[in-house]
Amino acid sequence: MTGNSASPHFGPDELDIWLAGTPSPEMRNHIDECCTCLELVRAEEALAAELAALPLYAPKADLADRVMASVYIPDPFAIRSLQAARRRLLASPKAVAIAATIALVLLGSMTASAAWTLANRETLVAAGNWLAGEAARWAWVGLRSAALNLTEQPWFTGFRSLVESPGRLALASAATSLMYVSGILALRRLLAVPPQQVAHANG
Amino acid sequence: MPPRVDLAPKTDQEIVSLARAGEEAAYRELIRRYERPLFSLLFRMVRDRELAEDLAQETFVKALNAIESYRPEFKFSSWIFKIANNAAIDHLRRRELDTLSLEGSPQAETPEAIEATALQIGGRQESPLAEVEARELGGQIEAAIAQLRPEYRSCILLRHVEGRAYEEIAEILNLPLGTVKTYIHRARNELRQALAHLRE
Repeated sequence: MTGNSASPHFGPDELDIWLAGTPSPEMRNHIDECCTCLELVRAEEALAAELAALPLYAPKADLADRVMASVYIPDPFAIRSLQAARRRLLASPKAVAIAATIALVLLGSMTASAAWTLANRETLVAAGNWLAGEAARWAWVGLRSAALNLTEQPWFTGFRSLVESPGRLALASAATSLMYVSGILALRRLLAVPPQQVAHANG
Repeated sequence: MPPRVDLAPKTDQEIVSLARAGEEAAYRELIRRYERPLFSLLFRMVRDRELAEDLAQETFVKALNAIESYRPEFKFSSWIFKIANNAAIDHLRRRELDTLSLEGSPQAETPEAIEATALQIGGRQESPLAEVEARELGGQIEAAIAQLRPEYRSCILLRHVEGRAYEEIAEILNLPLGTVKTYIHRARNELRQALAHLRE
């Protein structure tokens, strides 16, 4: 309670507690003795009751229809990211204007590109031929480097002798397959869900 | 046609989930649940039925189009009341800016004379329409609420008409809890004083 000790009148917190209907015994005792606080509490109670009794007003009956006419309902089968993008795109006139500007710029640049292409066909063919030639040359250099690198490896001689003997190749294949299957089985056992433990009564 | 689901017993969160899944009926259920509380709050805030209709529509459209961004860990009611309150406060601020007060006569020397000769356009005085609205709102208490500052008005309406908790009001109005308590206390004081003559 606020105020001095001789007259500790109710403060906002005590009034809230009183209005919430949970006053402490000390607060009740105080009200029995203090006319000022009793008057205040009665006025607050009356005000709270009047406010709580205020009616709710109804908007026009077609509010829901008017709202629904402007609400975008998501299609559950559509891609969510696309839905969100479309909604953002149409969220405000400003967003629509920005999207329209971007679309115009894209369309303009595409049109200009197509026009330039049609007017400079020979240049484009020559550039294409040069690019294709360069690409083939670099691909051949890359392939040769990879092959050379492979034959330089220390295990390449052993691998070559293995491939030259069909019997040893079959044996090596069988051994590899066996190791692979054993590995899979071991992994399955490791990853298997342990069986439910049964509770045992001790005693 | 899928069987019609009874939405009335469902919680707001369940309805929102259905709305996100594309159920039109869920959208309508959310509007049905909140149209009266929202409209009442807005009507009491702006004191103009047509405007309150427009703001209610704007609130619902904004909220329902952004339903994907609603976070279910918060109460849906807090979220939609926040949007409505922001719409009302924005409107009241715009109206305040629109109030063009031309300075009084250069010959006026005292403050009273300046005030008497100043031209008020779109001032706070109630228009005949606003008077009709006030009568419709009716009662001394509605008139007393209308005299409160908009921030106090939001707080007192949410607390005592809508029955919202202080914490929820703080969340809706984006104010510290202490400020909400102070506003509500001051609003109650002002209302008590405004209505004191009725109780004598």
